[in-house]
Parts: sequence; structure tokens; C-alpha cells
Amino acid sequence: MKKERPNSFVIAEAGKCIGCKACELACFAVHNRDNGVAAAVGTVTTPVIPRLYVIRTDSFTMPVQCRHCENAPCAGVCPVQAIQQEEGAITIDEDRCIGCKACAMACPFGAISLYKAYSSGQEHKQPHLRERLDGHLERKTRVIAYKCDLCHDIVSDGNTASGEIAAAGRVTDISKGDMTVGPVPACVSVCPEQALTLVSPSLGASRSRKAAGLRL
Amino acid sequence: MTPNIDPIIHIDEELCTGCRRCAAVCPVDAIIGEAGTPQRIDAHRCVVCGQCVQTCAAYAAESDPSLTSRAEKLRQRGQLSSVREPLFAAYSTGHAIELKEALADPKRYKVVQCAPVIRVSLAEEFGLPLGTLTPGKMAAALRLLNFDRVYDTNFGADVTIMEEGSELIGRVMSGERLPMFTSCCPAWVKHAETAAPHVLDHLSSCKSPMQMVGALVKTYSAELDGIAPADILSVAVMPCTCKKFEAGREEMNVDGLREVDMVITTRELAQLIKDKGIDFINLPDEPFDSPLGKYSGAGTIFGATGGVMEAAIRTGYELVTHESIPNLQLDFIRGDEGIRTATVQIGDLELKVAMVAGLKYVSSILEQVAGGTCPYHFIEVMACPEGCVSGGGQPKLLLETQRKSAYQARKSSIYRHDSNQKVRKSHENPAIIKLYKDFLGEPLGHTSHHLLHTKFFSRKVKGELK
Ligand code: SF4
Ligand code: SF4
Ligand code: SF4
Ligand code: SF4
Repeated sequence: MKKERPNSFVIAEAGKCIGCKACELACFAVHNRDNGVAAAVGTVTTPVIPRLYVIRTDSFTMPVQCRHCENAPCAGVCPVQAIQQEEGAITIDEDRCIGCKACAMACPFGAISLYKAYSSGQEHKQPHLRERLDGHLERKTRVIAYKCDLCHDIVSDGNTASGEIAAAGRVTDISKGDMTVGPVPACVSVCPEQALTLVSPSLGASRSRKAAGLRL
Repeated sequence: MTPNIDPIIHIDEELCTGCRRCAAVCPVDAIIGEAGTPQRIDAHRCVVCGQCVQTCAAYAAESDPSLTSRAEKLRQRGQLSSVREPLFAAYSTGHAIELKEALADPKRYKVVQCAPVIRVSLAEEFGLPLGTLTPGKMAAALRLLNFDRVYDTNFGADVTIMEEGSELIGRVMSGERLPMFTSCCPAWVKHAETAAPHVLDHLSSCKSPMQMVGALVKTYSAELDGIAPADILSVAVMPCTCKKFEAGREEMNVDGLREVDMVITTRELAQLIKDKGIDFINLPDEPFDSPLGKYSGAGTIFGATGGVMEAAIRTGYELVTHESIPNLQLDFIRGDEGIRTATVQIGDLELKVAMVAGLKYVSSILEQVAGGTCPYHFIEVMACPEGCVSGGGQPKLLLETQRKSAYQARKSSIYRHDSNQKVRKSHENPAIIKLYKDFLGEPLGHTSHHLLHTKFFSRKVKGELK
């Protein structure tokens, strides 16, 4: 029987992050194979839309992304049930998303952004809604919510199998109290400073309690 | 084209996050600035290798209203307005706009040459797997772009081997100015001129293959085609940002005409092909033009670290021993970043060679030369981590984690191309034999000296920050 465990999430150590945005770029790259994005920058024909954001303050920089909340408020407010719990991750079904922005307002971490949708490298137009552009009516581009999905269907298909993304990042398995290296999301695997960690907590264990114990 | 005074490599202050990853790959510590603030490049130290351009991941987010418009940024960077890829903080000056205009000029006779490694990386810009080999599609695309002649830098690599090999044998026999360094990597040459003028005497006097082809385009092939040299536009497609700098060097001219009028990178060629709406992936293969498009396998491997050495040994061995070299694939020379050394038995001579890939590794050798303790006869230096396969103008990778496999794929593609050539030694290339018979006479002869050799100048001044 599968052991019940909370969702994993990626967390950054602000002290290590140098703000290079390699994570943003990698996130975009692996999520846009359907838009023709291959290995080279030259294959990119859409704006770079990442699912995590490097934020900057006067004293630190670090990426912020979805925490994959156990009782995800974003899912609770989504009127069309586009937000789901899938294989240990909170994901958005982008085909279903109607761009209502409720999730973006509900998320306490600002982990959701709304942007144009693209398919096959082109703006994805709506079938019915039109808007006036340069004097004539044009089909309006769909706008959808984007957020971290822990690369949930990517790590397994393209990356570990083909060795495309080396597991350069770290996976922390707190239940085992050690560091194990395994398949990791794209952002974690490319960070040159190893500032990102995929944290896989286990039910019941408090991170700080366990961490305090390990320090003894 | 007037000598290039543009520093070519730039950092866009609006985009630079001050992460200093570029500083970590810069082999000559030319990137200055505090972490967290926009960086600057010390143009004097910078060897224009473009490794910083390859590394930088800070891109202009479309959603950031505080940035200068994309159209304006493209214009500042000399890039075609049709370019759709993201714009990064570190970039190299583009020449595709200028070239597009020149290609539309019916009065000019437009000649292009492509470096050995363009054909193993260009397809990556169109989404084909890393290292896909496409010489035929590349030649076809260049014709569709309106070039009158599609030539090959590989031919120049073969000429380089003839000249440099003869020079090496001469120096080894006389024991003069040893070790001899290769001079085909302009970033290495600029570094030697700036940081180690004491070794300039040790550099081969050969121009790079690109400049050799440029010189021959405006003499030998102009004569064959009955074209006035002044009407020729000589263009080179290079994996290398520093080739833009090299082409602009004042001394790189034949009888007052620039040898290479314009240099574009692999990435810029892809942008021109897309700009013209050419369906690259489905182009039928076409051959290069003769005679400056005929090359040997030896010319091909110049693009990988150790390639110049391997090509030189294939020819040098036979020139010295008058015997056929027993094994053409010199695996002991192949490798990657760092310093590799080998001893090659050529007749009675034990030739000691070293290959340096990655400019940061050259300093120990420079010290040995200064101290008179350098044990090698011949040293190949390539500024980039694995030679030109990893040049600053090559397709830029979205994922740092793919860097190793990209270089590996491009390299094995080059070696495969070599092993599939019928002629694999420069001195057996029929077009080279004909060139010497009809035009140059002999290696290091009078015409060679006039067209194919050069001098290097110390750039040592008190390093000033601009
Ligand atoms: S998007 Fe926000 S609310 Fe939804 S799971 Fe992620 S962090 Fe929680
Ligand atoms: S130029 Fe790019 S790599 Fe260098 S510090 Fe700026 S953002 Fe970082
Ligand atoms: S081009 Fe090369 S030498 Fe110049 S700053 Fe960039 S990495 Fe350094
Ligand atoms: S190794 Fe090649 S690409 Fe790199 S600087 Fe030298 S010539 Fe240019």
C-alpha cells in the first residue's frame, strides 16, 4: 500500500540564490516542448513564461513558487475545478482554466500568474470571444493561470530517462533524515548554486523538530 | 568594413542581475562589478570569446513594463527585427541586418565561407537533436540567402595545415622559436598580445583558416571567376564571436581590401534563414562550390579541441617520413577542457605536443615558456572549453545541464564527418594540390607569405577600465 505522505515542494535558500534566473529559464524550457522549444534558445518563439519567479529585495534574492498546499485554497476557489491534486502535486488543467483569477487572489504566496496561452508556438485564440484590434474584430487570445506543477509529468518522461536533465539538484527526504538524490524538477536540477531543494516531508513529522534532532 | 572598434561583447545593464555567473566562466577575469549590481566588461582584457554570452540566463521578461522595448533592444544589438528568441543580459553585437542589406545588392559578388562546426550545430536552432550534421542543407540555405559562391573554411584549414605544418617542421629542424603555438583562435591570439607578449615570437605566423580563405577569395578565386576583387563581399559564418574582432584587425587585408568583410555567428545565420522564411529542415542537400569548398577530413576536425594538432600530425608525419601514417584516428589527442599532452614518434623525432582547451589553462604553459622550461615542440591553444564546438556564437542552450551532452554530440558529429571523408589528410586534398601547383607555388613561398601569414603586436598597456 502506498504510504500516505504530504505533497513535496521546492524551496529556496535565500542566502545561496544569486538571482541568475537559470531556474526560470529551465522551467519555461521543459514546459514548452509542445511549443517547439528544444535545446537551443533559437527554438523559442513565445515569451518566456516560467512557473516560478526570482524576486528581489534590497537584501536578498530568491525564487518563489507554489507550496503545493495540503488544503489548497486555490483549488477551493476555482469555479471550474481546473485545479487538482495529482500524484503529490497541485496542478492546473490549463485546458479547463477560464482565467477568472480567483486562484491568483486566493494563493497566499503569489504563486499563480496569468498569461496568454500558447499552442504550437502561436497564441491560442478563443473560438467565440472577439476583441477590436486595429479597427477590426479578432479572436481574443486565451489567458490562463500558470503555476509550478513540480514538473510532474516531465521528470519521468523526458528527463531522467534520456538523461537530459542530470539530477544535479538535491532531494531532501526528511522522513529518512538524509539527503537522497533522485529525479528532481527542472529548476532544482539547473541551479548553479544548489539553492533549490525539493522537500518531501512525511506526515506527522515537524520539519524543525526533526532538523533540530539532526543537529544534535 | 572599417576596422571594428565595437567591443562586440556587451552586458545590458537593464537586464543584468549581477549574479556573476559570467565572471565565473570568463577565462581572463574581464568582468567587473559587485555581486547584485549590473556588471561591466573590461574591453582591454576581454578576449571576445563570448563564453559569458553562452552562460547568462537573465532574460528580458515580456511582462516587465520598465524595460526598453524589445524592438529598440534588437536594434541596439544589431539583430533582425524578426528575431523572436528571448533577449539576455550578456550579448554580442550582431551583423545580420547589415548582411541582409548587402545580400540584396545585385552589384556585389557575394561569397560566403562556413567554419567546420557550423554544420554540426546549425540544425539545433531549428529543433533538430544536438549535433545533427547538415552540411548539404547549410549550403542550400546559403544559396537561397542569395550568396553567389558557397565556400568552406575547412578548405582554409587544409591550407593552414600545409603552411603551419611546414613552419613547424622548419622550426623543429632548426630548433628556433620553440615551442610553436597555433594561431588560428583569435581569442587566444588577443590574449597572448595582451597578457603575454613575450610569447608572440612563438606563435605560428599563419593567419587563421578564415582569413586565409578570405585572402584567397579576393585573389585566387576572384581570378578564376573573373571578378574584380573590389566587387566581392566576403562573408564568414563562425561559431565564434571573436572572429568578428579578428576580421576587423587592420593588418587583415590583401592589397588594401579586407579579407573578410563581415562575420556572422551560427545563431545569426539561423536568424537570417528564419527571417527569409526558408524551411531549413526540409531543404535538399546541395554541394559546396569549387575549388574553395573542397575539404579533407583533417580540415573538418579543426572545430574540436585537439583537431588542429591531429590534422597537423597526419600531414607532418608524412612530410617528414615520406611514409603513410599507420593510424589516422589519433585518439590520444582527443579530449576536452584542460591541458592534454602527448609524445608522437615521427621517424627519428619524438615530437612533444600539448593541447590546451579553455584559455584559463594556458597560464602555466606561458610561465614555462617565459622560464625557458617548456618541454613541448607544438602547442595548440583554443580559448573555448572544448574548442569551437563550444564557441560563443554557437547555439545557446536553455538548460545548463545539457551543456556537456551538446558539446559531446557536436564533437562526435565532427569526427564522424571526418571518418566518412574519402580524403582525410590536407596534403592529399586535390583542390589543395591544385592551389599550390597553380597559384601558391610552395608552402611558405613568396605568395603564401604575402597572403597567408601575418605578424602579431603587443597590446600590453596599463589595463585601463573604460
Ligand atoms: S498555488 Fe498557492 S494556494 Fe495553490 S497550492 Fe500553490 S501555494 Fe497553495
Ligand atoms: S551578465 Fe548575465 S550572467 Fe553576468 S552577472 Fe549579469 S545576469 Fe549574471
Ligand atoms: S567574451 Fe570571454 S573574455 Fe570577454 S568578458 Fe565574456 S567570457 Fe570574458
Ligand atoms: S576556440 Fe574557436 S570559438 Fe572559441 S574563441 Fe577560439 S576560435 Fe573562437
